[in-house]
Amino acid sequence: MCTFFAFLSVIFFPWQFSILFATVFSFTEPLVLLAVGIFADTLYYTTSLHTVPFFTLYGAVGTIVAFVVRSRVRASIMGR
Amino acid sequence: MKRTFLSKRNAFLSSASISWGVFACVGVFFVLLVRLFAPNIFWYAFAPVFRVADSLVIKSHILYSSFGDTAALALKNEQLLNENAALVSENNALLVKVVSLSSLFGSLATERMNASGILTGVVARPPESPYDTLVLAGGMKDGIISGMEVFGAGGVPIGVISSVRTNFSQVTLFSAPNMVTHCWVGKANLPLSIHGSGAGVMSASIARSANISVGDTVFAPGPGALPIGSVTRIDSDPSAPEIVLRIVPTINLFSITWVVVRDTGTAFSNMFSSATSTRP
Repeated sequence: MCTFFAFLSVIFFPWQFSILFATVFSFTEPLVLLAVGIFADTLYYTTSLHTVPFFTLYGAVGTIVAFVVRSRVRASIMGR
Repeated sequence: MKRTFLSKRNAFLSSASISWGVFACVGVFFVLLVRLFAPNIFWYAFAPVFRVADSLVIKSHILYSSFGDTAALALKNEQLLNENAALVSENNALLVKVVSLSSLFGSLATERMNASGILTGVVARPPESPYDTLVLAGGMKDGIISGMEVFGAGGVPIGVISSVRTNFSQVTLFSAPNMVTHCWVGKANLPLSIHGSGAGVMSASIARSANISVGDTVFAPGPGALPIGSVTRIDSDPSAPEIVLRIVPTINLFSITWVVVRDTGTAFSNMFSSATSTRP
């Protein structure tokens, strides 16, 4: 449900809101950032404006960061 | 020794992250493939969504921009309040006008009768205008000429046009001094001559034997018999063979707002009487 809402925000809300929603939802589902980034570039990417699909790139970076954070958090919980 | 088997955990592909995120990525990747290899199908499918999004953006932008500048918003609010007050005032004036015109035209038959008349507003009435006169907002430009008869609400005749300008005209009421009107009174329709007494009152003398009583309606000639007023008082001198009737107009001349001016053939009848061979 949260993933679906993040996708909807790409269409109906400004991109700042989409980043906010995807970041918040990435705490429960890290791949949402990557999926939302790919989806945003699928809809709005044009080669005349940017040579690099930035949304996908940022989504991938955010997903990696989210996974790292999750693994660290779990490790710290298990260490207690 | 019993060995405990622990599965190797992958931080990037844990069982929890496979669920929705992987499905979402696969779905999005599929959409990306559609856009890359079948762009027509992709834009055909997403065009309605973009239209909805655009309309939503426009509406939200209008909503947010309306709250953007509080000073402009306050100014606009004040402007709307002033406009609302002006509209309320105009509405009240129109309501009064509707009531006045409804009472003026009355039934459909009266409306048809007044269709040939000239509807005009009253600019001044006593005490603003000289007593027993009205100033109308219609003049020669509207087709009003001297001698035309003026009718109030319900088709009640109230006076005659005595002076005309381009845009205004003056009405001398039947109650003005030296105004003589030929009428009928009572159930037997007895003819009598009414003289203006001033201040909106008329008087007439009639034989005591006519049996006129207070409340009898006085009719004036027009298209038919038109009620001009009613007897409110009877002055009787026992030594005189006549009684004096005090007549008050049917409508209040001090608050009249709209009138109908109509040619009742006065000029024609004057021409006819002056052309007769029997006149000395």
